[in-house]
Amino acid sequence: MIRRRDLLVGGAGALALAGAGLRPARAADEVVVGVLYAMSGASAQVGVDARHAIETALDIVNADHALDLPLAKGTGLPGLGGAKIRLVFADHQADPQKGRAEAERLITQDKVAALVGCYQSAVSNTVSATAERYGVPFVCADSSSPSLHRRNLKFFFRPAAHDEMFSAAMFDFLDAQRAKGQTIGSVALFFEDTIYGVDSANVQRKLAGERGYKVVADIKYKTNSPSLTAEVQQLKTANADVLLPTSYTTDAILLTKTMAELGYKPKSMLAQAAGFAEKVTYDTVGDKLQGLISRGSFSLDLAAKRPSVGAVNALYKARAARDLNDNSSRQFMALLVLADAVNRAGSTDGQKIRAALSATDIPGAQTIMPWKRVAFGPDGQNTEADPVLLQWVGDKFVTVFPDSAAVAPALWPMKA
Amino acid sequence: MTSTTLPAPAAVPATASAARAFAAKRRRTLLVGLVVFAGMAALPYLVRDVYLQNVLILTVMYAALSQSWNILGGYCGQISLGHALYFGLGAYFTSVLFVTYGVVPWGGMLAGGLASAGVALLLGWPCFRLAGHYFSIATIVIAEIGLLLVHNWDFVGGAMGIQWPFNPDSWWTLQFARDKVPYFHFALGLFVAVWFVTYLIEDSRWGYWWRAVKDDAQAAESLGVEVFRSKMAAAAVSAFFTAIGGGFYAAYVSYIDPESVMSFRFSLLFALPAVLGGIGTLWGALVGAAILIPLTEISRSYLGGTGSGLDLILYGLLVMLVALARPEGVLSLFKRTRTARNQEAAP
Amino acid sequence: MTTQALAQVLASGLLMGLIYALIAVGLSLIFGLMDVVNFAHGEFLMIAMYATFGLVLATQLDPVVLMPLVAALLFALGGASYLGVVRFAMRAKANQGMVQIFATFGLAILLQGVAQYLFTPDYRNVQNTWLGGRTLEVGGVFLPWPQIFGAVVSLAAFGGLHLLMSRTDFGRALEATREDQGAVALVGIDRNRVFALGWGLGAALVGLAGAVLAVFYYIHPQVGASFALIAYVTVALGGFGSVAGALVAGVIVGLVEAFTAVILPPALKSVGVYALYLAVVFVRPQGLFGRL
Repeated sequence: MIRRRDLLVGGAGALALAGAGLRPARAADEVVVGVLYAMSGASAQVGVDARHAIETALDIVNADHALDLPLAKGTGLPGLGGAKIRLVFADHQADPQKGRAEAERLITQDKVAALVGCYQSAVSNTVSATAERYGVPFVCADSSSPSLHRRNLKFFFRPAAHDEMFSAAMFDFLDAQRAKGQTIGSVALFFEDTIYGVDSANVQRKLAGERGYKVVADIKYKTNSPSLTAEVQQLKTANADVLLPTSYTTDAILLTKTMAELGYKPKSMLAQAAGFAEKVTYDTVGDKLQGLISRGSFSLDLAAKRPSVGAVNALYKARAARDLNDNSSRQFMALLVLADAVNRAGSTDGQKIRAALSATDIPGAQTIMPWKRVAFGPDGQNTEADPVLLQWVGDKFVTVFPDSAAVAPALWPMKA
Repeated sequence: MTSTTLPAPAAVPATASAARAFAAKRRRTLLVGLVVFAGMAALPYLVRDVYLQNVLILTVMYAALSQSWNILGGYCGQISLGHALYFGLGAYFTSVLFVTYGVVPWGGMLAGGLASAGVALLLGWPCFRLAGHYFSIATIVIAEIGLLLVHNWDFVGGAMGIQWPFNPDSWWTLQFARDKVPYFHFALGLFVAVWFVTYLIEDSRWGYWWRAVKDDAQAAESLGVEVFRSKMAAAAVSAFFTAIGGGFYAAYVSYIDPESVMSFRFSLLFALPAVLGGIGTLWGALVGAAILIPLTEISRSYLGGTGSGLDLILYGLLVMLVALARPEGVLSLFKRTRTARNQEAAP
Repeated sequence: MTTQALAQVLASGLLMGLIYALIAVGLSLIFGLMDVVNFAHGEFLMIAMYATFGLVLATQLDPVVLMPLVAALLFALGGASYLGVVRFAMRAKANQGMVQIFATFGLAILLQGVAQYLFTPDYRNVQNTWLGGRTLEVGGVFLPWPQIFGAVVSLAAFGGLHLLMSRTDFGRALEATREDQGAVALVGIDRNRVFALGWGLGAALVGLAGAVLAVFYYIHPQVGASFALIAYVTVALGGFGSVAGALVAGVIVGLVEAFTAVILPPALKSVGVYALYLAVVFVRPQGLFGRL
């Protein structure tokens, strides 16, 4: 309590000092990284988990760990004489304006060398624009809107896949099922009405048209609706071969409950992660989602191919009291990728870190992800961030696609 | 329902000397205004920190928006909780005209302002028949309908929002990559404009009408006040300035989406500063914003990173305490002695 | 649209409507008593859901059994809110309407913060209940048991409220106070006590709604916001202060919402409810059953 009060007093003090422009000089032996998430409001849990994930990565960089991950062995950043990374967290409350203001504060007050964030694509939008203006690299951990890397930004880097890559993988999977003799003729789109759902549905609609799947229901619903009964009724009437939901956690839970209540058992569900990647969804309604397939960036059973997964998950679980998931694994990797670049840059200068990020080349085995490698294109997008498809079987996710990462074949259709 | 008492309406001058005293008081107010504004204009040169400059900009912007709200809510007594609609209209007009058609933001703001005033008149026609909470809820509901429509309208970007292109620094396009000072001066200019309009209105026939309507609409009508027309005028002026603020906000943030300019919390944010500072007064909105905005910004920045909800607890407590402790607003702390003196002086 | 699908929309709308009515009635009751709109009403609902969640964890009993306890807890919260906050807002000499709005609004934010502080922003759920996930199927129309139960509780609550208001001393005191606040003091009724009990009663009713919702809805510090606006529209549509109005308006809101989602894109389904509210008050400024 006392510490928090000190912080507030510190804030007031900062106001008083501002005129003189006095700032404590940054210690030479640390690199400050700003982390922006919503820590209050409807998606606060994502922010809290992100904090744990990024602090886990911080521990791996700063302390000595016998893991085959960038900078795990030894302490700190050898490229900067063993300097440690220090994190500064900021709360953007899912508001693009606040994200922008907090990014500016971190850049100008805390003199951060780089930024990591922001989950909500709308916030990543303004934060990346601010980073660009100040020449500070922004590593976008977990916003998957494809529009983000198409703005000719020089300081934007995204190690993980974007929605078009995810959706393409989903349709590749459907094509593969067709090739195996399954009849899949129709799909139903069911998506929430913010940038995330709309973006996802636009891509899926296009891919369905190109690859010959009939879209029999195309339902945009209002996020955080008190009831989804009428919407589910329409899904039930359409009864598509595959239901493609794009939902955050609240709606994913409500959708699943409502489907059960209305006696609608979709033939198969292929979900766009988010709510369907959150453990709480499965804690709540997992029994009703047996056989659901979700796209993902991560799965615990990757431990078979990525030896660090188990150890990293144990470290994370000790902090967060839950397993790594689709979001927290990407947040974890974002800091590692950034730390690797800062280390090679040997500097906290934005331009130098940017150049080092552009030259990043981390083999997939040195990540906890199914990615082939981490290497950024000129637009800052990692094109080799292969997504995976995971199937919920029993009480855990099993990687079922692509074949190179699959642990077991997919059960299809869902209720088979 | 809006049982409110007047902060002593500028007493109708009964005698010549009273009239002279009143005129002198008006001049004094104007002079104080000029001095305060000149001082404020220098602020961003004293505060060089970009983050704090941002807090200053938001403070002055919300002061301007709250003063715009005050024209309808404070002076006229019509508690609108739907001004996010006009804010959003301004933001969207400015962004669409600039990004899609290349019209400079100044033109977009003016167009947005006029459109908002038009919409306010259109909506006022049925809404001003409603009283108290029925009116307030109607304004909330109308703003929500607007939000839903924009959300689902692809021409204006729908849920994807509108991204402003990167432009070189220019007053013409209102784009400044790092410099915050011009934004502050624009926001201050907007506040001064709204303040001056309010100042003029206070001593105009409209001003007296509005205060009469606020006190007792029926009695005002029987005295020949055109209640309906005066409410409509207040709504149009209020909406016009709110939309200009929306256009400014869009230019400042350089990215808008429906939630980030039209959600209900904006409607509350426009009302709160005026209520905290002193509703229906010239300076209340500024005083309220100067307390509320830095407090919420700084508590979020320095407490919000924990995710514990403490910043919400503080904010909630503050709003509650101020509402309960000073129903007439913070300004009344200073005014009390003067009104008491005036009352003693009255025969 | 088939008859069966139509029947399904009708049934779902009706069940949800009765639950909306139960959520809204406490708000209407408090307003009728003392002309105050409680802007923390959605947060009362949220607290009731957390209370159900916590009590289920602590006692391992079913929410159906715990419902009276939740209502009692909310009764205490409502009474305390009146005595601790609203009572002072009522004393305001100036801008009373504003003070009430912002005092209860501040209370709402405070309660959200407290919920986040105590329970973390995790999504919670009440698991393995008697009713959860069970469905009654009648000729192809599916009626979830939790919502049937909610509808029954709602009707019972309205029935009970009617009896309370018309048959008991407390009810008569409430009625007398809402008719004439000044006069009741003369006949020895303590106004503050009646108001506190009224707030308790209003909150207890939303407590019932919270216990019902906790069975089939997720629990989160922000969950009240999803229902709050619907509750305000319901109360205003029915007419502020009218208990019967809340019931009728709740059902109308449920049905209109369900049918709008069929006619318009579902993302716009609230537009139907909002437009209906505007249409009604433009014709009848006091709502369906309100008094001017």
